[in-house]
Formats: sequence, structure tokens, C-alpha cells
Amino acid sequence: MRDDRENAVVVRELVKRFGDFTAVDGISFEVKKGEVFGFLGPNGSGKSTTIRMLCGILLPSKGTGTVAGYDILTQTEAIKSHIGYMSQKFSLYQNLTVEENIDFFSGIYQIPQEKKKDRKEWVIEMAHLQKYRGSPTGILPGGLRQRLALGCAVLHEPRLLFLDEPTSGVDPINRRRFWDLIYELSEQGVTVFVTTHYLDEAENCNRLGLLYRGELIASGTPEQLKSELTQGTVWEVFCDRPQDAMLELEDQPEIHDISLFGSSLHIVTGDASTTEQRISDLLNRNGYRVDRVERISPSLEDIFVGLIQSKERSLQAQEEVKR
Amino acid sequence: MLERLKHLLIKEFIQIFRDPRMKSVVFITPVIQMIVFGYAVNTDVDHVATAVLDLDNSVSSREITARFEHSGYFDMVARVEDEPQMRNLMDRGRVQAILRFSKGFEANLRAGKKAGLQVIVDGTDSNTARIVLDYSNQITGRYSQELLKKRFARLAGSRIEPGKVDLENRAWFNENLVSRLFYVPGVISLLVLVVTVMLTSMAVVREKEIGTMEQILVTPIRPGEFILGKTLPFALLGFVDVIMISLVAVFWFDVPIRGNPLLMLVSAGLYLMSTLSVGLLISTVSRTQQQAMMTTFFYIFPVNLLSGFFFPISNMPEIIQWMTYLNPMRYFIVISRGIFLKGVGFEILWPQMLALLVLGSLTLWFTARRFKKTLS
Amino acid sequence: MNFGRISAMTRKEFIHVIRDPRSIILGIAIPVILLLLFAYALTLDVDHVPVMVWDQSDSTASREFISRFKASRYFKIKGRTDNYRDVEQAIDRGDILAGLVLPRDFAQRLEARRPVQVQWLVDGSDANTATIATGYATAVTQAYSEEVVLQDIRKLTGKVLERPLDVRPRVWFNADMESKNFIIPGLIAVIMMVIAALLTSLTVAREWERGTMEQLISTPVKGHELIIGKLTPYFIIGMFDVLLAVLMGKFQFGVPLRGSVVLLFGMAAVFLLGALSLGLLISIFTKNQLLANQLALLTTFIPAFVLSGFAFPINSMPKVVQWVTFLVPARFLVHLFKGIYLKGVGLETLYLEAGLLALFAVAMVGLTLVKFKKKLE
Repeated sequence: MRDDRENAVVVRELVKRFGDFTAVDGISFEVKKGEVFGFLGPNGSGKSTTIRMLCGILLPSKGTGTVAGYDILTQTEAIKSHIGYMSQKFSLYQNLTVEENIDFFSGIYQIPQEKKKDRKEWVIEMAHLQKYRGSPTGILPGGLRQRLALGCAVLHEPRLLFLDEPTSGVDPINRRRFWDLIYELSEQGVTVFVTTHYLDEAENCNRLGLLYRGELIASGTPEQLKSELTQGTVWEVFCDRPQDAMLELEDQPEIHDISLFGSSLHIVTGDASTTEQRISDLLNRNGYRVDRVERISPSLEDIFVGLIQSKERSLQAQEEVKR
Repeated sequence: MLERLKHLLIKEFIQIFRDPRMKSVVFITPVIQMIVFGYAVNTDVDHVATAVLDLDNSVSSREITARFEHSGYFDMVARVEDEPQMRNLMDRGRVQAILRFSKGFEANLRAGKKAGLQVIVDGTDSNTARIVLDYSNQITGRYSQELLKKRFARLAGSRIEPGKVDLENRAWFNENLVSRLFYVPGVISLLVLVVTVMLTSMAVVREKEIGTMEQILVTPIRPGEFILGKTLPFALLGFVDVIMISLVAVFWFDVPIRGNPLLMLVSAGLYLMSTLSVGLLISTVSRTQQQAMMTTFFYIFPVNLLSGFFFPISNMPEIIQWMTYLNPMRYFIVISRGIFLKGVGFEILWPQMLALLVLGSLTLWFTARRFKKTLS
Repeated sequence: MNFGRISAMTRKEFIHVIRDPRSIILGIAIPVILLLLFAYALTLDVDHVPVMVWDQSDSTASREFISRFKASRYFKIKGRTDNYRDVEQAIDRGDILAGLVLPRDFAQRLEARRPVQVQWLVDGSDANTATIATGYATAVTQAYSEEVVLQDIRKLTGKVLERPLDVRPRVWFNADMESKNFIIPGLIAVIMMVIAALLTSLTVAREWERGTMEQLISTPVKGHELIIGKLTPYFIIGMFDVLLAVLMGKFQFGVPLRGSVVLLFGMAAVFLLGALSLGLLISIFTKNQLLANQLALLTTFIPAFVLSGFAFPINSMPKVVQWVTFLVPARFLVHLFKGIYLKGVGLETLYLEAGLLALFAVAMVGLTLVKFKKKLE
């Protein structure tokens, strides 16, 4: 079943259950060829499960999908020849040297003899592993390890790349470098599907999907998400008892959305005429002492945390209605 | 300190009984060992599959064949007609012994000439072969004696009977020479060894693996208390096993216990000193539970083979016999066999108990020192 | 069946094996140690049984009788005594295995042609040794008894008769009845079973635990290619073990190999294939190294050692247990090896066991290929 020529990945109503637990609950989306698609969500939201289904190493419970034009239910082996995959847990052989690992994957992907040497050098160059060629992979520091793993995943120049939290546990500088590599690949036309829980990395993607508890609760480009989902102004408020304030004030008419951010509150108001004073007064009226009110520009984090928190609250409300 | 110890012990027991792997070692291993050594391992020889090639087919040859059959040791499973058939059965392993009467057997017998009876035994299993030969010697020997008696009576007058010498044989401790009685008391030693060494080493290494070791070390707990906390539960399990196997041995396998059971428990305690220390020692050289298990296996295997459990130490070369003096299992086996089968007490067994005490203390001291070093 | 992928897998597995010292120790050192132990130290043969003698008669006849025991290589007279307590204590302490007590009227009774009873008090706790020792003692006694009668006949009638029933025992295949001749061939089989299963039982489970399996199954490598790659280095180690054992058997221990060497190695190869696949199966099912280890030990080590017939005769086991031994593949290999080594027979005799072994190998390999899935969960 070949789908749109535009899409590298198409997923419809994908479900995965493990016993009683539903990890992925009916999600649908597409990934266009050549784009960098980010899958965001907190731990346990179903990101890894989804990516594994797309790579053909986990069978869905329900739903359909195609990857590089191949069916994820019936053509998994074909999928594996056309993609590169980097799993969340570092999965190269630690007691093999850097070169041995590269050689191994070259053999597995059957890179033609003439190209083997070139590809190997390319990976070593790209990952800055010149000094570590003969070292056991186990001793490499985190950032280098991840780059090596990426290298091994693209040895065979796949058009589609699946990266599961490739930068977790890596320091910010190396994260930056890693994303440079992703851009390079993307510029060459490779479609990159990446999952992450770092929201600053999300800004780097062409399009995003937000996963929470197995459901896709939002998707679009970063700009779309920021503009569609924030109508209004975002204020950062420091007050006492912010949790109580949040619960008390969420039904107030001027307030579109109110969520907790660390020790401060982010309040979204719809009315353009709202001022710091208005907000201060509102809080004071309800008995809260205000330390600071400041207008800020919305970040993805604002949007997502807001979405998630409101999702939480509606779920709680459903529970109470049931009772 | 007792308070902390108590909590450590409780935690340890909870962990043991929640961990399916440990539970299987604790419960399944004894059962398997009892079944294996109670039933399967057996050097008693009976039901020897035998074939008969009777080229004489006389009263005498049939008489002798019947005696073999009625002895209870030989099962006549085939009569063959010729040599090739005979060889074939032996080659294929269908029979272990062959009685071959040559033609003219009875005639020779009557004439006082050498009568040709061949008893052919499959020597592949030399131990069994030896025993089979023994049995057949007894049967033919007795027949021979009777013949002589008759001949004597004929020649010297029927009123005189020839003299003879008989061996009145009495087997002490195990009248019917049942090999199982030999192995089952030894099982106690083997079992305690396996359970305590493996579990102790795995329990300590598990904490290293999952990282809780570090957590415990920052508490005010002292290394000595930690060691006690790790070893006491398994010491207790060891005692439970000793009692359990003894009960099964006595009531199910009919192994007599002629000595003092309390002495058994005391000796078990001395034995445990060694086995627990070895378990701790192994934990200091293993990083993962799986390594601990393999190392335990490598230790137990030769220790068991060289302990006199199955292969008598007296059969071993001198050098190896000297080496077995360092093997705690060796002493405990002597003690358990002594208490169960021989009914002896402290006055006979004190050398073994002393050896266990010395060996145990040395091992414990060495291990404790090494352990403290690795903890800090 | 892509040779490029298979050779990449095989090469990687080889590197793993070489870099893991434990595999080498397990694969090579242990078999050698076992062979040495069983050849030199571990035996059930009974020789030099320590005996204490109490000669209450102290006559020419009694001394003659005792000298028969002294002359036999099976006995060693450890001491003489004049009371029961010494004998008892010596047996209790384990200093002697048996006590020989001759009655005071030994000589007189013989003269008077009355039956004489000599007491043989043996430590029965080691039933096997006791049985064998008693057998020797009985044989010595019977021989002496017959001679007494023959001498008597000569005295009375002047006739010199022969012992009527002259039974010549013949021992086939292992005439010297050296236990190492029969233990070594069987031991080779047992070693292979244990090593094979232990070594491979970890390899797949380890990859699952470490996460490298997940990476592997996302590549185009096929299930059977992966399995071939995993089996090959261990197969080579196993065959090397067989070679080592056979060479040691021949040159170090002098165990005669009467049958076909080709058949020996052929059967070993078939068996190895099956045993290795069994280990892989365990690894595939458990996905957890610790559990795989335990399971491998339980299902291969104990049955192979106890139920394969290599040391404990299967015929002596209860019928039920004998049926169970049919499930132990090592049993067939032990039978085959003993047959080839000691009996010098070939396939025409051993076809049944060879066939069953082939069945085992095919079943194991087949199951492994079917059960290994390139999927999580």
C-alpha cells in the first residue's frame, strides 16, 4: 500500500496495549519527506512505543501505518532496510572498538565494498572520533557515544531516520553539536523523526507532535502552536500560595489559562487591555500578596505545560463526575 | 546495634521471599537434590541383563543357569543360538553379561575334568563389571563347593563330609548395603553448601548491582553489622535445610539416625562458618549477580567432587588427598555419615569438628578483612 | 541467507568471545580440569582395602588363610588386634574398612572336617566399596575352602582332582577394568553438553539486557543469519574441546579408541549443534542473563551428570527414572562414545542412538529458528 508521495510516514489510529495498560491510544499523523519531525512528551507518554512500532520492531495492537511506503503491520522487514534507528538506550557493543562497531554495521547493511572505507571515514570524521578509532566503545564519553550511534545508523544512507531521545543525558554543548548534525542530514533530504523531552530542542523541528498519556494532544509547526494556542498575553506572576491562587482563580472571566511554572504562575489573558495593575488587583482582592507581575513572550513550554495541566484537570473532573 | 541488626534481617528476609529466583534456589534445589540422590544415583547392581548361550543343554547347565536367575541379581533376557548373536547383543548394549556353556560341559563335569563355563561381562562400566563378577563368582563358587562335597562323599565314604571355610559377612551400619544410605547424608552437606554460598554471594552482589549498597553505607551502620545482617538469614536457612533434609531422609528414605541430632546441628553451625565466608568472599570478586552465580558454581563443582561425597578420598592420589584437608565439605560429610549411619559421637568426631572450627574461623577472618576493605 | 551479513555477525561474535575471559575459561579450562580430575583422582575402583585381623586361632592353618589376604593386592592388613573394641573403634574412626576375625577353633574344626566360619565385619556406610571388598574377601575364602577339600581328597584317596567348575571370567571391552577407560569417553560427552548450553545460554539474553538486541532487530539482518552467527564461534570451541579431550584421552591417559574417529567427531558435531541450540533457546525465552544461567544449569548440568549414564549406570535406576533419561540427549551421546571408544562398533550397531541424536539436533535448531522473533515483547 503506497501512500502520498509527499509523506515519509503515515499513521492512522495507532493503538498499542500491554496487558491492561494502553501505551498508545489511537494516534494519527503524517510526516512529510525531508522534514524534521519532533515527538514531544513527558516520560511514559508513549513516544518510544510509537517509534518502535514505526521501525517495525513492535507490532501495533490496532491501527495502520506506512513508513517509506511500507506497511508497518505486514512489511516490517522491508522497512528495516530503508531506515536508520537509534534507540533510547545506548545500543552499540561496548566491548567492540569504534572501528569494529562501524565495520559490523557496514556488514549488516551490506554496504558495497567500494563504499565501505569512505562511509567509515565519514562517520569517524562526523563524530570527531579520530583519536578513538581503536578504543573500546565503552570508554567513550556520552556526547561522542551518541554521535557514533548516529553514525552507525546512517552508514547505509537511509532516507528516513528514527531517533529516540538521542540527546538524553548529554550536556548542552554536545546537544547543540548533535542537532547541527541532524540539520546537515536534513539538508541532504533525509526525513528525521526524533523524540525528545527537551522543549528547547523542540523549537528546532519543522513540525511537532505533543504526546501525553498515549494521546496526541497537539500538532503543528512551532509557530502554529504558539499562535493558535495562545490567544492573548502571557504574564509571569510571583505571589504567595501560587497553587491555591491557581485553583481559585482559574474560573475568573479575564483569565484564559493559568498554570504553575516552578514557583511562579503563568497567566494568559485574552483582553488586550489587561495591565499588570489589573492582575495585581485581582490577586489582592482574593487575598493573595503579589511580589511581581511581568509580561513575557510565550514559549513552547508555556503552551505545552498549559495543555498538559488542563488535560490533567479535565481528567480529574471526569473522575469526580463518575463518582 | 541489635535494633539495627533486627531491621537488616527483616529486610533481608523480605527480599529473599519476594525474589522468585532466590525462592527457587531455596525451595527447588533441595527437592531436586533429594530426588536425584535418593533415587537416581545408585551404584547398587541388580537386574543385570544376561544372555545365555547354552551349547550343551544339559541338566547341569540348566541348573546353573537357574541359579543365576534365582539369585535376584541376573535377569535372563535372551537365549542365543550362536556366537555372532551373542556378540551382537553385547555390542548393542542389550545385555551386560553372558553365560556361555560349551558343548560337552556336563560330560566334563562328571569326568572330573575342567568344565568350560565362560562368564562374559561388559567391562564398559568397570565398577558394575566388578560387582557383576563378584556375584557370579559367588554363585559358581557355591555350586563348585557342592560338587566337591558330593565328589568327596563318593570317594571318601558318604558319612564323611569335607571341611569348608565360609565367610560370614556382616555389614555394619548398612546391612543391606544400599548405596542410597551412603549418599543421602552427604546430600545435607551439598545442599547447605549450594544454598548458603550461592544465596549469600548473590544477596550481597545484588545490593551492589542495584546501587542500594551505597545507600546503606551512608547510614550509621557498621561493616560488622552489615556482614551479620547479610549472613545470618542464610545461616538460618542453612539450619532449616539441615533439619528438613534430615527429616526427609529419616522418614521418607528410611535412613537411620543413630547418633545425636544435636551434635549434627552444632556441627552444621561450624560448617556454616566456612560456607558463609566463602559466599561473602565470592561477593567481593563479583560485580553482577550472574557473575556471582557462575563463580559459585565453579567453586562448588570441584569442592563437591573432591569431598568424598561420591568418590572415596582414599582412592585419590596423595597430593589431592592433602588438598582435601582444606575442604570443609569433606569434614561435614564424615560427620553426617558418622551421626546418621554409624551412631558415633563427639569422642570419635572431634577431629572433624575441630578442623571445621579452625577452617571456619580462618576463612571468616580473612573474608571479613577483605570485605571491610572493599566496603571502604 | 546472505553471506555478507552472516560473516559480519560471526566476526562480531568471535570478538565477543575472545574478549570475554570467562568464556575461554569455561570453554577450555574447565574441560581440561574435569578430564584430569576424573582420570586421576575420581574413581570407584577398590584397591588396598585396609583390614584389621584378629586371629584367635593363631595356628598354621589360620596363618595360611590370612596370608591369602595379605597376598592379594586388594587388601592391606593394617594391624592386628585381640579384641572387638579395637575393631569397632577403628571402623568408627574410618581407619579400616573391615575386620577379619578367625575363631579359636579354626584349625581344629578344619581337621575334624567341620564347617568353619570366619567373621568379616565391614563398614557398610559406603555400600559400593563395601560390596566390592566383600566380594573379594568371599572369593579368597571360597578359593581357600576348595583347596582344603581338594587336599583332603588327596590325603584320603590319593586322587588329585581339579576344581570342578573352572569359571573363566572374561571382561569384554575394558579388560583391565580401569574406570578411567569408561569414564573418559562419557565425560567428554557430559562436558560438551554443559559447556555448550552454558556458553550460549547467556549470549542472546545479554544482548536483550544491554539493549543491543533492540538495535540489531531494527536492521535488515535475518533471524536465521543472527543465529548462525551466534552459534559458529561456540561450535568451534566445542569441537576444539572434543579434539582436546580425545588427544588427552589418547596420549595422556592411554584410553584406547577402537572405533572410527570420523564417526566420533561426526556424532560430536551433531550433538553440539543440538546442545548449542538448546542454550540459545533458553536465552531467547528468558531474555535475562541470571535466569538463563540458572535454567541452563538446571536443565543441562544436573541431568547430564546424573542421568546420562556416564558414571551412574542407568540400569540401576528405578524404572521411572530410566524413562526420564530418554529425555536427556547426553545419554545417547555417552552411549555412542562408549561404544565407539571401547567396543569399536559403528553405525550399524549404534544407529538407534545416532538417529535419536540427529532428531534432537534438528528439533532444537528448528525450534530456535522458529522462536526467535525480530520483535520486542
